[in-house]
Amino acid sequence: MCFNRPVEEQVHRMSRWSRRWRVLAALLGIGLLVNGSLRMSDDVWPFGPLSQYAFSPAPDTTVLITRVEGGLADGRRIDVPLRAGVSGISRAEVEARIPAITADPSLLRAVAEGWSRNHPGEPRVVQVWLVQDETRLARGRPGPPRLVELASWEVPQ
Amino acid sequence: MTRSDRAAAWFVPVLPDARIAILRTVLYLFVIIDINAFVRDPIPLSRQPELYSPLLLARILHLPPPSLPLTVTLYVVLTVTCLVAAANRLPRSLGVLIAAAFTWWTAIGMSYGKVDHDHLAFVVALWTLPTAGVVVDRWRSRTVSAQSGWVLRCIQIAVIATYFLSALTKIRSGGWSLSSWPNSAILAWAIVRRPHGLGQFLLPYPGLLRVMQWGSFCAELASVVVLWLRGRALLVAAIFWLSFHVFTVTILYIHFAPTLICWLAFAPLERLRGLRGRMRGRRIRGWRQRAGRGAARESLPVVGHEAVDAGR
Repeated sequence: MCFNRPVEEQVHRMSRWSRRWRVLAALLGIGLLVNGSLRMSDDVWPFGPLSQYAFSPAPDTTVLITRVEGGLADGRRIDVPLRAGVSGISRAEVEARIPAITADPSLLRAVAEGWSRNHPGEPRVVQVWLVQDETRLARGRPGPPRLVELASWEVPQ
Repeated sequence: MTRSDRAAAWFVPVLPDARIAILRTVLYLFVIIDINAFVRDPIPLSRQPELYSPLLLARILHLPPPSLPLTVTLYVVLTVTCLVAAANRLPRSLGVLIAAAFTWWTAIGMSYGKVDHDHLAFVVALWTLPTAGVVVDRWRSRTVSAQSGWVLRCIQIAVIATYFLSALTKIRSGGWSLSSWPNSAILAWAIVRRPHGLGQFLLPYPGLLRVMQWGSFCAELASVVVLWLRGRALLVAAIFWLSFHVFTVTILYIHFAPTLICWLAFAPLERLRGLRGRMRGRRIRGWRQRAGRGAARESLPVVGHEAVDAGR
């Protein structure tokens, strides 16, 4: 059994030029990818670094989980799941914008509007909070989480 | 043949065109799954222009900022063209259109602060598939070509690059150290943040998590070897990496499905053709038995029932 061996008889011919550009394109692609992983940032996608989970938190690091909570018109305070299908935006996208949101909490409008759009039967969202659950690791083992509020925004009616 | 000729030949192996035809069907249908299940947020995200920060690609090409009409158009175009292209119709023109539209769609999804890394091989596959041109007889093709071989080789390289380059990135992010990532608390960190899977049962054992980190890091570094494996060794390597993904799904809910589907570029998909013939043969034999002709032990000549590498 051999997966990469030709198994048929009739072969299409390939010109010298055709073969040359293919080899050069493959080498260029490999070069761009290696360069991306060794030197560049996510900005150069799809030739950026393959940086999923590629960092090294210390065994006593603090793990942050960013969440958004919403205050409804009926007084309930709910967790607004940060998924595109529920709130119009994902957690990673909110996390990437934390400094911008704390500087201008009205950016939380996107989450409030997204949630309301997807839950037409629920009461209005009157306030949103950007919060983080802080979990401290001790020698790699997690301790109890602590809630920290980063920003809050009253939804203009 | 000089050494550089041999090296060049490695990039353009002669492989069955049927594999390209089958791969086109699978990957173009997967695009539809992808835009509905994985990169599914460009439409809702396009309602949030204040959060848009375009990638270099969008800046270089002066792509307009995403809007609802634009993202809905991309969605419709991708859905319609993929259904047609999956039938191996208009492989060049539709293939290029799909590659461009999907790249744009995915780039929009990754222009809101979070870039995913599971689409490399899939994007490479979409851009290279059109270059193989028309495959006469499509799934039933009996021809081989270096054009198809190059496409398959590019997808294979991109699949392996997804693992190998992520190991390089880990070395880079750890201050060019081989041990800082595998010795870190990265898995504990990841499980605390994604506490849904089986990973939480591993949290009390940081030593075990570190062993797993060393294992995956070494496997990623060694993954390049897969490009030169054949036969059973390649099968074992493929099963290992598929199991690796099953494992990350169970402990972290991270699937890398677009990379997984591209593993098919390593598989002898052209054998499905023979399988179809064999199934037909079995059906016909069944009918004969039921008809009482006693021909069950006779071999029935059925087109395509012979092994594909017979006669070699």
